[in-house]
Amino acid sequence: MMSLPFLLFACGLAAAWTRQRGAAMGFWVAGVLVLLALFRFHATDVLNLGL
Amino acid sequence: MTANLSRLLNALGLVAIDTVLVLAFADQLWFRDLPCPLCILQRVGFIAAGFGIALNLMFGPRPSHYGLAILGAVAGGVVSARQILLNIAHNSAYGNAVFGLHLYTWALLLFALIVVGSAIMLQFEQQFAATDVLPSRLKVLPVLAVALLATLALGNVISTLAICGAGLCPDNPAGYMIFNDNLSLTLLGKTP
Repeated sequence: MMSLPFLLFACGLAAAWTRQRGAAMGFWVAGVLVLLALFRFHATDVLNLGL
Repeated sequence: MTANLSRLLNALGLVAIDTVLVLAFADQLWFRDLPCPLCILQRVGFIAAGFGIALNLMFGPRPSHYGLAILGAVAGGVVSARQILLNIAHNSAYGNAVFGLHLYTWALLLFALIVVGSAIMLQFEQQFAATDVLPSRLKVLPVLAVALLATLALGNVISTLAICGAGLCPDNPAGYMIFNDNLSLTLLGKTP
């Protein structure tokens, strides 16, 4: 699961290498969405900060 | 700023991001400092930011590519900030310190630098004009930098699978999960 964003970015770079800019940007969007979803799973504690 | 100068600066920027990711691997393999889940997500942030710069190198500089670099750096920066605040709240630290700062603190500074650098680059609109024929020296470095970024992305696929299996990573990884006896269960994301 945690390796998925790396895989998506690698696929995006491969798409860019083959001159498919739209596909590359699509993989970038998918990679960032997975990054944000994984961050949501790992940021569960409420931080007790007196700001 | 000409397109050629922009291309050179983008190549140097991507080499810098590649270097950060190589150093992260060196810390993991040489000092056996396994990355935590948030550390892994910061690596993702560096690759997301580097991706935008790589598109500049492969398709020519465009504002949308700088936008991807900025958004990737912001996403990575949010993860770094979360980890810094988490360690402040728990009065703790994770991993080795380098020149007095932990890696996630360095990461936040570097993400900020990527945002500022991209914003400065966006001010030079002449680079977005049609590209001239590139000198050969401006072809080798960008190709190497993009190829290294792709290699590091694939390397992180393998490394993350080795540490976490197919599921979510443990908060404090104690070793490479892939070396467990129940390898098949690990790869299915089930902790044996």
